Amino acid sequence: MTSVDLFVSPLGRVEGDLDVRVTITDGVVTSAWTEAAMFRGFEMILKGKDPQAGLIVTPRICGICGGSHLYKSCYALDTAWKTYVPPNATLVRNIAQACETLQSIPRYFYALFAVDLTNKNYAKSKLYDEAVRRFAPYVGTSYQSGVVLSNKPVEVYAIFGGQWPHSSFMVPGGVMSAPGLADVTRATAILNHWKDNWLEKQWLGCSIDRWMQIRTWDDMMAWVEENEAQYNSDCGFFIRYALDVGLHKYGAGVGNYLATGTYFEPSLYENPTVEGRNAALINRSGVYANGQFSEFDQARVSEDVTHSFYEGNRPLHPWEGETRPIDPEVGRKQGKYSWAKSPRYEVPDMGRVPLEVGPLARRVAAAAPGAAAHQDDDPLFLDMIQKLGPSVFVRQMARMHEGPKYFTWVMDWLARLELKESFYAKPVEPLSGKGFGSTEAARGALSDWIVLEDGKIENYQVVTPTAWNIGPRDSLEVRGPIEEALVGSPIVDQEDPVELGHVARSFDSCLVCTVHAYDGKTGRELSKFVVNGMV
Amino acid sequence: MTSVLWFQGGACSGNTMSFLNAEEPNVVDLIVDFGLEVLWHPSLGLELGNNAQKLFWDCARGERPLDVFVFEGTVMNGPNGTGRYDMFADRPMKDWVTDLANAASIVVAIGDCACWGGIPAADPNPTDSTGLQFHKRAKGGFLGADWRSKSGLPIINIPGCPAHPDWITQIIVALATGRAGDIALDDLHRPQTFFKTFTQTGCTRVQFFEYKQATMNFGEGTRTGCLFYEFGCRGPMTHSPCNRILWNRQSSKTRAGMPCLGCTEPEFPFFDLRKGTVFKTQKVSGVIPKEIPEGSDHLTYMAHASAARIAAPQWSKEDMFVV
Ligand code: SF4
Ligand code: SF4
Repeated sequence: MTSVDLFVSPLGRVEGDLDVRVTITDGVVTSAWTEAAMFRGFEMILKGKDPQAGLIVTPRICGICGGSHLYKSCYALDTAWKTYVPPNATLVRNIAQACETLQSIPRYFYALFAVDLTNKNYAKSKLYDEAVRRFAPYVGTSYQSGVVLSNKPVEVYAIFGGQWPHSSFMVPGGVMSAPGLADVTRATAILNHWKDNWLEKQWLGCSIDRWMQIRTWDDMMAWVEENEAQYNSDCGFFIRYALDVGLHKYGAGVGNYLATGTYFEPSLYENPTVEGRNAALINRSGVYANGQFSEFDQARVSEDVTHSFYEGNRPLHPWEGETRPIDPEVGRKQGKYSWAKSPRYEVPDMGRVPLEVGPLARRVAAAAPGAAAHQDDDPLFLDMIQKLGPSVFVRQMARMHEGPKYFTWVMDWLARLELKESFYAKPVEPLSGKGFGSTEAARGALSDWIVLEDGKIENYQVVTPTAWNIGPRDSLEVRGPIEEALVGSPIVDQEDPVELGHVARSFDSCLVCTVHAYDGKTGRELSKFVVNGMV
Repeated sequence: MTSVLWFQGGACSGNTMSFLNAEEPNVVDLIVDFGLEVLWHPSLGLELGNNAQKLFWDCARGERPLDVFVFEGTVMNGPNGTGRYDMFADRPMKDWVTDLANAASIVVAIGDCACWGGIPAADPNPTDSTGLQFHKRAKGGFLGADWRSKSGLPIINIPGCPAHPDWITQIIVALATGRAGDIALDDLHRPQTFFKTFTQTGCTRVQFFEYKQATMNFGEGTRTGCLFYEFGCRGPMTHSPCNRILWNRQSSKTRAGMPCLGCTEPEFPFFDLRKGTVFKTQKVSGVIPKEIPEGSDHLTYMAHASAARIAAPQWSKEDMFVV
């Protein structure tokens, strides 16, 4: 038995820098530690500020899902202020939020994930040359159009919100803009252009309608073989290649999922409340753990800082949450190793457990029985995890599957805007209150808990998808989802452990990256690794 | 070939995301057509890993020529001057910044954080963050007021939260095509070609501004009027080309009915987001805006305002951006 410790720094750089430590025994990862390497203190900045400060500050937590930050921080205030939100405003918020995700899907896939498919590790695959032709950075035929066209959906965001990233146009009581006819027609035309040129032509090789007929894993495999256009589309090719190189064989993770849901049916959420939220959602919330579905309840969320660089020693619900940083050097001596907190969820009969969030979690939640007429009802990914098990591949397909789905929804919401009706209702501003707002950013559940007192922010806690997924161990020494997903990954070539990058990136929590390996015991540098085929 | 190294400190990646929206030229054109050699970038790296680490050190030690060092995000000094709030490749990011800035011919700060400290430096500045050569409006910042790069230029500041992709790409193209000498900087080191005009320049509401007609409500209320009088629009006091060079080729905040937050100025977020300052005009004795357009004084402003109100034609009180 040979065992080696690798320290990987940095592994990726989306929300701060991510370092990973792994132990590899006989070529398989047997333990892992994820370390978020940056702290900015936004929650501390918000304390004592104007109640609406979150609308300006929280989008700047992450420029990649800034629109999602705005969306949930707005609903946190809507629930705290008990505002009325006109149906038009709900539709505009839905449209904008979904366009951010539509942008992210190809941008993430080509610029961040698919680049690794050209890694020389896969040179023995007979599909390798084709993968390089399509996915090589800058020069790949699919890379170019995929990355360049990814800016189209956020042009629609700009029509409603003025700009993307970093608008603050959603406010309690509605939105600041009021689109006219030309705005709606323009938005429709831009999205159609994007659908024609990327989504259908390049990615699917078929119509959206044809793709949406897929309800099971068998359907998906039959779809690949159905005709040449589908077989050779980027999607068809990705499915074949992923199965050929084994991306469906590792990266399972905790196998338990949380979606807090997003997008509201306007008539059901004119008076946003924390209690009324689940029933009004279109993209459903829900927890799937130990093979059982249960309803999402924000009261069951807590954050643990046992292994995070913060003071405190007991899990706290975010309304009571604290953010008191300590010097990492001091923290390390107490066994702390990350800036991420460890969000946990109290599952009935299971206790406080880590849950995976993200597209796969959303797709599993969409398979729960009992969907209302306005809700997403989609059995495909529950079927896939039952037949194939979760993996890097399944997680990736879940993300891509949302492209056609959200596109259809956005077109529907655009069609339902009543241009002569209201987009905003001025709220009264109570001096105190508590609010909860949440959404699904491209990469998973994103929530704010706000406490207002004396017309100011008394407490503000943000729980990001990255924290859910990359959070470290908790007080029970239970690993976080990515830590768990890394365990079991086969490392074919220790000089180039591309598999670590695949697993971490399948959660969309890091970018193209460099990997360094150190001998964990002596601190001596063994060798430096590259997780990218271009080098 | 112009070699570019792009790092992120205390950043949200918003400037990178904005940069990826560029279209003339787009990111691929920049690299393929303009011969930009991106040595490393957190999301677009060509040379990575082994080569990248070596490359950081080669650049830092001057063994490999570095034309442009681009920095996005704040420089974090905390806790207690150690820089350990932002570790990168096992080293405080601030140490990389010192080495690489001194090694590069030209250093460009992209976005408010890198220019002035931005939101992370907002009160109480928990991470002791600062900009490369300014802290808010005060010259100094991380590198010091007198710092010059090898080419003799100070930090070129491209502010904005985020910076617009064209402001970034056009400056990089100018540098790559040997036009560094044409870049005239203002006293905050911003390229004048972009930052001499105001957000208000080109705003579709400017006639309402002239006639002192206010937008009274968000939503359909923003189909007429100007956002200055009630909602704290900073358009008249903010240097930016947001209404000349539109965002995402489509619009701008003020066109979409959102007040300008003044994000290209060092004071952003204004008033430190104190109670009562967000999306609300600060007024003297309840009526007169506390801050008035640059170069004007309150008396002249008041006289002009009452005359303008009398002169206001009927259409300026009606819905203009109709369905
Ligand atoms: S909305 Fe703002 S930028 Fe436009 S005219 Fe009024 S003050 Fe100027
Ligand atoms: S309009 Fe104002 S706040 Fe918006 S990007 Fe331009 S300068 Fe910044």
